[in-house]
Amino acid sequence: MTHTETLSLLNEQLLSAAQAFAEDASGLSDLLTRFVQDVERAMREPLDIFPVCHHSPASALHMVRRLQTQPPKVIYMELCEDMLPLIENLRDCKLPVALHAFAAESSTLPPDALPVMVVAPLTEASAEYQAIAYCLTHPETELVFVDRAVDYIFQWDDDWKRDLEQLEAEDEAVERENAGLHGTAVGVTVGELMPTFDEFLHFLLRNSNTRYFAEWWDQYVERAIINADYATYKQVMVLVGSLLRHLGRHTEDVRVDLLRERYMWTRIKQHMHQHAIQPHEAMYICGAAHVGSEVEEFGTSSTLIWELPPHTDTRWLYGLIPSSFAAIERQFSHPAGTVSLAEGTWDKSLKTEKIKPFDLKKPDAVTRKPTLREMTRNPHVLAEFLTQPPAYAAADKEQLLQWCVQIVALARKNGYLASTADSIAIYETAILLAQMRNRQHPTPYDFQDAAITCLEKDRTPKKRTIAHLCQILLGGDRVGTVGYASLPPLAQDIYDRLAPLEVDLFAKTNQRALMDFKTRPDRRACSEILWKLHYLFGNLVVRPIVGERKLGHIPIQESWDVLIGKHQREIIQLGYEGVTLEQVLEQRMKALAFAENATAAIALKTAEDALIYRISPRLVRELGLHAITLLKQETSATDAPDIFQRARRLVHYYRTQPGGLPDWLEALITTGYAHYAAMLPQAFADMGTRPEQIAGMLGFIFTLESLALALGCQRNQLLLGLQGAAQNEIPPDKLGLLWTSEWLLGLRDIASMREFLTQILSDALRLPTLPQYLNGFVLALNFAPGIAQFVVELLSHIFGSVTDNTLLMWLPSLILQLRQHHTILQPLIKEASVVFPTSLQGFMNWQSPWAETRTPVPSLQTTISPQLAEVRDHLLVAPAATHAIAAWLGLDLATSLTDTTVNSLLRAYPESTNALATFIDGKIIRA
Amino acid sequence: MSDTILRLPAEAKYADELDFLASADRGQRPANWRLTPRMVRIFVLGSTPADKLEYPIAQKWFGDPAIVERAIVTLASDRGLLLIGDPGTGKSWLAELLAAAICGNSTYVVQGTAGTTEDQIKYSWNVALVIAAGQSLNSLIPSPIMTAMQQGAMGRFEELTRCTSDVQDALISIMSEKYVAIPELKDDNTVFARSGFNLIATANSRDRGVNDLSSALKRRFNFVHIPIVTNKKQEREIILFRTQELLQRQSFSVNVPPTLLDVLLQTFADLREVSNAATSEDTRLESSLSTAEQIGVLEDAVLYSNYFGESQLTARLVARSLVGTLVRRLPEDIVVMSKFWNSVIAKRSEEQRGDWQDFLVGGQEAMQTIQK
Repeated sequence: MTHTETLSLLNEQLLSAAQAFAEDASGLSDLLTRFVQDVERAMREPLDIFPVCHHSPASALHMVRRLQTQPPKVIYMELCEDMLPLIENLRDCKLPVALHAFAAESSTLPPDALPVMVVAPLTEASAEYQAIAYCLTHPETELVFVDRAVDYIFQWDDDWKRDLEQLEAEDEAVERENAGLHGTAVGVTVGELMPTFDEFLHFLLRNSNTRYFAEWWDQYVERAIINADYATYKQVMVLVGSLLRHLGRHTEDVRVDLLRERYMWTRIKQHMHQHAIQPHEAMYICGAAHVGSEVEEFGTSSTLIWELPPHTDTRWLYGLIPSSFAAIERQFSHPAGTVSLAEGTWDKSLKTEKIKPFDLKKPDAVTRKPTLREMTRNPHVLAEFLTQPPAYAAADKEQLLQWCVQIVALARKNGYLASTADSIAIYETAILLAQMRNRQHPTPYDFQDAAITCLEKDRTPKKRTIAHLCQILLGGDRVGTVGYASLPPLAQDIYDRLAPLEVDLFAKTNQRALMDFKTRPDRRACSEILWKLHYLFGNLVVRPIVGERKLGHIPIQESWDVLIGKHQREIIQLGYEGVTLEQVLEQRMKALAFAENATAAIALKTAEDALIYRISPRLVRELGLHAITLLKQETSATDAPDIFQRARRLVHYYRTQPGGLPDWLEALITTGYAHYAAMLPQAFADMGTRPEQIAGMLGFIFTLESLALALGCQRNQLLLGLQGAAQNEIPPDKLGLLWTSEWLLGLRDIASMREFLTQILSDALRLPTLPQYLNGFVLALNFAPGIAQFVVELLSHIFGSVTDNTLLMWLPSLILQLRQHHTILQPLIKEASVVFPTSLQGFMNWQSPWAETRTPVPSLQTTISPQLAEVRDHLLVAPAATHAIAAWLGLDLATSLTDTTVNSLLRAYPESTNALATFIDGKIIRA
Repeated sequence: MSDTILRLPAEAKYADELDFLASADRGQRPANWRLTPRMVRIFVLGSTPADKLEYPIAQKWFGDPAIVERAIVTLASDRGLLLIGDPGTGKSWLAELLAAAICGNSTYVVQGTAGTTEDQIKYSWNVALVIAAGQSLNSLIPSPIMTAMQQGAMGRFEELTRCTSDVQDALISIMSEKYVAIPELKDDNTVFARSGFNLIATANSRDRGVNDLSSALKRRFNFVHIPIVTNKKQEREIILFRTQELLQRQSFSVNVPPTLLDVLLQTFADLREVSNAATSEDTRLESSLSTAEQIGVLEDAVLYSNYFGESQLTARLVARSLVGTLVRRLPEDIVVMSKFWNSVIAKRSEEQRGDWQDFLVGGQEAMQTIQK
């Protein structure tokens, strides 16, 4: 009996069915004929086409049988051809893992979409993995990936971006653990069959009483073919594939499929030609839907091949990343638990069939050589097969009972009030549900529904719902691991360098690393690595529990949570960016600092980070110099406070270092000094510049002034800047800053400020502006701690004289402001504690220091002895001695000043003369 | 009869379908059920060609089929069914359909309120008869639930969580022992439930916590959650189905332009989004924004257009009805609605034009009228 005869029976049956339903069945009959033709053609083809469905245990099982009975010379597989070299690395991985392609540089892809990634996840219960494992353990069989290179995915299909956005949107909605392992990658798989045509899918599910395509597949195809003979398997798969292809897919999806099919057949024929392979020596593994292809290149009988389009210039890098069932389900929009269930079916079938799968770990020991099931010599078999429900294993009932008991136990553990009565109810409900859904025996989906019905009440007591618990019970998630040898050099380097920590870096759980650097100084290097990882990933991959990293800090002990095993993908992906961690860090920092929108503050921050994480002094210098360039171009003072803090920190740090200040930091100080001094007039006048920013500028100027002057800056710049600023009208909240600066330079005295503010205090109309004036002075504490006494005085005045009604309104904002600037609170409190008595008794005779300063200070003139007065008068009359001392001190008074001016100056300010007199007198006396 | 009765119960309304299904039903039925679970499912969810029935059965309840399946299976088991969900999600409608299909009577209903007493669940006495002839089965007034027990039918309990806890707990013995004792009578003082009896209760998830069920009662009920329909296609089907049904009472059919229905659906979807994002009760509409509300809006608009308008449904009328239906608290709701209208609807009107423009104006007019 030939296949054609077998099929003609099916053909007849299908056609008679078509005629029974419609009067004009020609359209339908065309379609049905098409299905049968597809099956016929696939069976006729001398190259053994092995149709598969993704993550289908039936496909995997038939693959094992097929390979063990008829080993082929070559296996052609529907996977991206450029991923082939990766399979060598599968040997030391724990499945599921994904073949990964990564591209960060491309001139054809939109820059905002970069980097782009492609994943092809592999699970044990899949035909493709079984074939790969076979080829790796049997070198006489060659494996060839024939599908388009990853580059074409982005050339041919414009929908990839939309798909990714959809994935991201779903991500926000459903947060499942381990579901994000693939990141934002485009997924490819062998044997994608999911219908994309919604109406068709809806119709299919409604008529089959199922909720998901995966459930339909499991119920109506998977269970039917898993124990069928090879020919039936092939025919049913091709038939279903053909149905889904012609009815279930959008024309747009078929367009890409056609391109891929032309590509695959071209590659197959090219390979056969080059290596002189006969069609019967090879097999071709592809999705069942591809067998019904209408491309002209189809079949080894035609010699037609396609001239392949060129690659783009996108640079692709390849590796393996860990995957998980949850991630696969998310990637290919399967309902949660699908892959676990497939894996369960696979294990069960292996046991009942007593077949040993191909495995890369253990030596290939076959317990029983399976025979390829021969097609029974009965022409009705296929037609009957398709109309009968599959027999179920007796173990199923036992399994259901076990599930009912286990789910109740699990529910109790998770806070549900569940008892044996519930187990009975679940069992009963599951059976009833299966009956209603026309099934012989409850499926895992029925069981899950029954458990939810009986156990889920109005609220979830703990973290997990019954649906979630069912998934755990029915297999749960499994996360793969990429073995050491398959890691990129960078990841291997990290694993090597962290070896002294003695924690399991492949473990999926939290690993605690405790480091005492006194006893184990070798772990200092590990700490370096951990901090670098922390810089790159935040708290994701490693998490410091005890320990900090800042300039000049030398840690004694540190404690870390290490999650490298769980986040292997991130580490592997780093490997695409460079060969060592330091190199990647350097690239990232440079990218950050040299970005178009980078500011001086960002560049300086990266420079500081480079120093903290000890990348290289060369990089620190480069980033620092870039910060200077950016600072020069900046026209606003937005980042001034930040730059000031960083510059000060860096100066303090470098002063403790043997080499002293590096040249770039010196340049930064001088540039900053000049830049900010020049910007002062504009900053004071500009309404958009906040007082805090000006405080930052002045902080930079005054705090680093001595250093800047030593490095050649001119104070003149500052004086000019302040004079320029004073010419404009100064808003109240900036006045304090300006006056304090002037006071620091000796251009203004406390008395004048006091007088001005006293006026405001007594002027009811201007009183409401007082908090703004105060604000300026408070901010000035940042760079002039000496003004603290005046601020304390001002505050005391305010608290003393302003009425409570007004004061209470100011208090909240004052407190909030002080809290914001905790650095200025310190000098203020210190000053206040000096000024005010510490005990209540002290207040009895307490007089405020500012009140004392108003009493005239006894002049030096009155205290001077008559003898000294005589000496002073002599000096005034004959100033040569004074001039000589001045010349000795480096001042040329004689030429620069006329006598009269000197005299008038000396009379107006007699202190210097007095001091000189004392000095001379002392000498005379001693002599 | 159907001319004079405002609203027929499901078993009367779909009597033909039920009879047909009963005649076509060959499977094994649970004791005292009129249909097999499969046929009950078909009655509620409609038939497919795969069911191989002579006449097609229309879908009457729209939603996840698994919900209906789980509900039916629960009723066939030993436990009661508690349908829980937001107001307007079709709980009572599903309960009615199930009762009608299973026992052919959906009217054994107790409406739970804060004032419901144990008497209304079990039995009470005809005082005049008691005075005249003393306490006997004659002078006893059985509650609808007790009647359902005697008949082996489905008893319904609406808004279970509105009742106080002690009243709720009266159900425990009914649910587990399946009889009601009447201690006042000397003989024949127990009413046993016939097989086929079960309870369908509904509860409002918004009232959760008001009168929470005791654990003892909880474990005697299987909870089936009915979610708010967010699938637009499904929602469209429900709205059309229900509006047409409601308006048949006014004996005219409706022709809702599809674009207008889209506007309505989109507006509700947007409103739900805004409502979910709102942080306080004041910035949220009081209405539950369920499918039932949309049906209400559409019905209102159709009635208005038929009696006062140009017998044609316009976007302006729909907007007017929508604002009128959803604005309940003044001034809070009008503030929320006005903000929504002038941001979201105005934006849509600018982008998509068409019906949206009229819709925008209609809503603004309606809000102005309310504010006056």
